[in-house]
Amino acid sequence: MTEAPLLEINALRANVAGKEILTGLNLEVRPGEVHAIMGPNGSGKSTLANTLMGNPRYEVTGGEVRFLGELLDGLAPDERARKGLFLAFQYPVAVPGVTVVNFLRQAVNAVRGEEVPVREFRQELFQKMELLKVDRDFARRYLNDGFSGGEKKRAEMLQLAMLQPRMAVLDETDSGLDIDALRTVADGVNTLMNENMGLLLITHYQRLLNYIKPQFVHVLIDGRIVRSGGPELAEELEASGYDAIEAAASTA
Amino acid sequence: MTSAPSTAASALTPEASRALGEALGDGAAVAALRASGVAALATAAMPSPALDRPWKYVDPAALTLDGFAPPAAADAVAIGGPEAEGLTVATFAEAGGDAPARLGEAVPFDGDRLSALHYAFLAGGVLVEAKANAEIAEPVRLTREFTGAGSLATPHTLVVAGPNSRLSLIEEYRSTDDPLAVLPAIELLVGPGAVVRYTSLHRWGARTRVFAAQRAVTERDADVRSLSVVTSGRLVKSHITSSLEGRGSSSELYGLAVGGGDEHADFYTVQDHVGEDTRSDLLIKSALGERSRAVYYGLTKVGLGARRADANQENRNLLLSRTAKADSDPVLEILTNDVTRVSHGATAGPVDEEELFYIQSRGLTLEGAVGLLVRGFLSEPLDRFGHDEAVREELSALVEAKLQLLGAGG
Repeated sequence: MTEAPLLEINALRANVAGKEILTGLNLEVRPGEVHAIMGPNGSGKSTLANTLMGNPRYEVTGGEVRFLGELLDGLAPDERARKGLFLAFQYPVAVPGVTVVNFLRQAVNAVRGEEVPVREFRQELFQKMELLKVDRDFARRYLNDGFSGGEKKRAEMLQLAMLQPRMAVLDETDSGLDIDALRTVADGVNTLMNENMGLLLITHYQRLLNYIKPQFVHVLIDGRIVRSGGPELAEELEASGYDAIEAAASTA
Repeated sequence: MTSAPSTAASALTPEASRALGEALGDGAAVAALRASGVAALATAAMPSPALDRPWKYVDPAALTLDGFAPPAAADAVAIGGPEAEGLTVATFAEAGGDAPARLGEAVPFDGDRLSALHYAFLAGGVLVEAKANAEIAEPVRLTREFTGAGSLATPHTLVVAGPNSRLSLIEEYRSTDDPLAVLPAIELLVGPGAVVRYTSLHRWGARTRVFAAQRAVTERDADVRSLSVVTSGRLVKSHITSSLEGRGSSSELYGLAVGGGDEHADFYTVQDHVGEDTRSDLLIKSALGERSRAVYYGLTKVGLGARRADANQENRNLLLSRTAKADSDPVLEILTNDVTRVSHGATAGPVDEEELFYIQSRGLTLEGAVGLLVRGFLSEPLDRFGHDEAVREELSALVEAKLQLLGAGG
């Protein structure tokens, strides 16, 4: 039995600052699936992530995105989040004055659409912090303010853990992580992943895929997917580089 | 060139000053300063926005005080807080005799007309003194309320912290919505090894103009921290100086303004490093709605003798409307090559788009995200000052009430 897709992207085109970056991208993610999109710098990876989440700086010029069967067209980022879409940012911004715990509480209340009792919330938070090997005093720090690269990525994963989305997009989550931090983050993601959830890993390097195993790998070049395959495609990329695939794609 | 003031139609006369002094029963210290003020009334000029840099953005009309009446003999001041061994809290009249002996040491009569008016018509003097080694845990609280259309008010707060004492003072200012002019002076004399925490809450009425002069003078290893919270008032201009005279002494100056309507919050600060190994930090933040404006002009001075000074100043302004305005000008004056660090920063602008996107992507509406960012922005100086829980909550509630008036989400 094939379940209905969580995420369907059809012929998606998008501009940033007047320049077309996504040039007709297709992708389907079903519940329980882990997909990886790999691509060189400038191929449109971050544009895809930002466009999916509805960043107003990115303009959709063609095609469509459906999430849980509904068109996302024109929905604000918070509406997408409340439907169950999550983006782990490549560069999370610092928000001085807003503590991690305060931020998470407001986000959890917003996404769940109800006030979660404080005690319940704290219990859940501490449990998720343990899972991600985050110190408790982390909760009282200002969000991402003065965080190391590893701390920022862990804070993103903590948000993922607390918001329990149906579909998570991880934009270059491995960048800036040393091997121990990468392992912790990957273990956390693997624990959080479940059969109802979809996961889209966006990455330049194969490294992350040693720890979070995708069933599907797609190669993004010049704003569209030029090849799709299984995990072996990531290894092929690692061995021969993007140039070989790009050359093959352009002659195909 | 500034023109000599006209006193023709003014009720702020030498006779009125003398009558006030008699009514209050001035001691020697007050009488001497009152006499200096009176002597200058006829000649002292108002500061000039055109010529005096700290006054650049002040509407010259706001500096016309001649139509105002002298203060009543007893302005309302309520004294709250602890009764503790080694602590004196008294009005200048109650202090009696020659007290307060150190009046005018930190904020002397400086020759300009505001200073002359302050001392000539000084009426609201309170002395807060901690004896050597006294540790006053609970904050002392002064609540000052001003009423009476067209009157001048001259509160004066003199804090004397003896060697190795600890003292915390919260001063709350309020006034009615009548036209009022208030010239507060705050002197913080911080003895060797003493720790002083001073918080002023500016909750002025809609037509009150305020010209406040605050100055701390620190002796060896002294530590002063001050916070000004401005949530209302037509024009609230605060001159705040820390003179770090004693070796190893330190100052942290914090300020926070939330503006709406046509309010103008104006800070002129001086971090004056005199002694060796002195440290200063400053953070002033303003969130500005409607047609309000904030002005910051801040000077870090590092004198020839201030070797290994460590100074930082930071001013941040958040514009919540297109018609709000902020001017920010941090300035460094460094006379020695031997400094540990001297840094400064200033920004003014609307809420950051990328921050909004980030927060919205976690499910908060645009309005909710703006509200969260504004509150976070304003909480930083409060967090850094470090009040006890109850005061912290009171300050948050003050800020929150103003933000609600502005309709700033949350």
